[in-house]
Amino acid sequence: MKNIYRPIEATVEDIIEETPTIKTFVLRPKERFAFKTGQFIELSLPGIGEAPFTPSSDPNIKETIDVTIMNVGKVTSLLHAASGGIPVGIRGPYGKGYPLEQFAGKDIVIVGGGVGLAPLRSLLFSLFGEIDKYNKVVVRYGARTPKDIIYKQAIPGWSKKKKVDVAVTVDVGEPKWKGNVGLVTTILKDLPVDLKKAVAIVCGPPIMMKFVNMKLLDVGFKPSDIYLSMEKNMSCGLGKCGHCRVGKFYACKDGPVFTYEELKDIHDIWD
Amino acid sequence: MHTIYYSENAKIDNFANRLKRSHCVFYPEVKSCEPSKETDYSYKKFNHQQHLVFNPYRTIEPLKAFFTYPCEKVAEYFISEKEVVLPSVKAVVIGVKACDLAGHKVQDFVFLEGVEVDALYRIRRENTVLISSDCTDFKKVCHCLAWEIMPYPLDGFDLNLSPLNDGYLVEVGSKKGQELIEEFREFFTPAKETQIAARKVKREALVERLKRHLLPQNLVARNSVQRLMKQGYALDTWKQFMLPCVECGGCNLICDTCHCFLLSEKKAGAQHEKLRSWDGCLYANYARVAGGANPLKTRAQRLRNRFVKKFDFFVDNLGMPACCGCGRCIEVCPGKIDIREVLKDLDKKLAATS
Repeated sequence: MKNIYRPIEATVEDIIEETPTIKTFVLRPKERFAFKTGQFIELSLPGIGEAPFTPSSDPNIKETIDVTIMNVGKVTSLLHAASGGIPVGIRGPYGKGYPLEQFAGKDIVIVGGGVGLAPLRSLLFSLFGEIDKYNKVVVRYGARTPKDIIYKQAIPGWSKKKKVDVAVTVDVGEPKWKGNVGLVTTILKDLPVDLKKAVAIVCGPPIMMKFVNMKLLDVGFKPSDIYLSMEKNMSCGLGKCGHCRVGKFYACKDGPVFTYEELKDIHDIWD
Repeated sequence: MHTIYYSENAKIDNFANRLKRSHCVFYPEVKSCEPSKETDYSYKKFNHQQHLVFNPYRTIEPLKAFFTYPCEKVAEYFISEKEVVLPSVKAVVIGVKACDLAGHKVQDFVFLEGVEVDALYRIRRENTVLISSDCTDFKKVCHCLAWEIMPYPLDGFDLNLSPLNDGYLVEVGSKKGQELIEEFREFFTPAKETQIAARKVKREALVERLKRHLLPQNLVARNSVQRLMKQGYALDTWKQFMLPCVECGGCNLICDTCHCFLLSEKKAGAQHEKLRSWDGCLYANYARVAGGANPLKTRAQRLRNRFVKKFDFFVDNLGMPACCGCGRCIEVCPGKIDIREVLKDLDKKLAATS
């Protein structure tokens, strides 16, 4: 019988430095491993520790998986210190992922904060791959400073695509920065979308999602059209270990993406 | 209606001794016996030719301890799916009570249902025979009736023993139980109507005694607990009751329904392992995420989380509150935090404000 805790071996094939604190790790699993955009994996350093991450790569690429990771804790700091070629463990994929079928024909607003753009990049690859299915894709991204922006090389290319509109802002500018300065909420005014058929997908730190959510409600989005990623201490990934409870849900198996409609009556969701 | 047999004490002893040849047999033994205190019972491995001890009420240990362990290896780096070996020991647990079986429905729900089955749990469940027994007495903290659980098992067992005269009525509750009866036919005779009637009288007498014990406690009704959680979220009950909490996690670990665990890693020479350890939501780091954010920062939040999980989450997800009234958490708590009193306090404060 299948052992749900068994990690699959993967090799770190490449490490791309995105910012001083964020790197993208290209993993090559030694067994077949497929995920849907928005699903997450448990990534482990054997004998050291395990943590949940949502892949940032195109789910249609089956051979490798990109995971964009910020250096914040025990596992991530060791991963940041590691060099290519090391073996890592992966389990999953877990969770429901983004409900792409709900987005068909819609104006899709994607709002990312900091490293929160990582899972959204995977979503963008999925949307770009079948762009005819969607009416429009509007990307709004906020980072702390210009040097904290991830996927710097890729972002200009996104805005050149048809039906795609991209804006980036930084909380604090620097002399060479010519773009927007201000929190990501400042670039959510006058979104070029038809609110009657628009959805918003948000991923970032809890405090950012809280204010983005308020702003989106304020400009007229329905709670059922706002999709939020819940950051919780997901240990097993399968709704068994109990850690990631959000009201009557588990973030790992019922999420990690929820609509605000599902979350709005639950206490302390932003903590 | 389940089939019921009768067996004399000596035959039940023989039955247990015979089971020992093919199974690891666990049965309750007197743990502490001081005249001033309640006698406690604890599971022991049945070794030599022994007499079975009948426990009048539940053991100290929760039943879950036979199916998940406080800390154990659950996976290895790196082996293929084909190489996975799940250790399987055939076991018999004697002396399980109705509260344990009720609580175990939560464990079964968590580990056997949902998106994936926990194979290790399943194999232990399949390889374990549960021989329960009626309660003939109760501890001060026992309050199964408040959760509408009778002090005698109705389902969830393989065989159930009801002491009667110099033997036991043996009720068959599963195919596994029936197979054992057939294998050891010489120890069992069909029960007589009069014996079954006598069991009923004994059961009813105990229920009456337990009711008299619980009535003055004014416990909250089973069907009100979800409302208490929803309406009592902001009450000061949580702050007030957490004051003596020393964050030992005892209430979580000893609980028959608490199932939380944490996966961790172990360096074992060249072979690394993934461990699973029981976790508890009263521990400070329970909900902490990388980077330090913690949605359950305070002890009051964590105490509330324990209750909301039991009385709101499980009512929504399993259709029953995750408390079986065994009272183990009440006995274990060094701060004397009493689950019954927390619920009563919420109820009282909400009644006063409405």
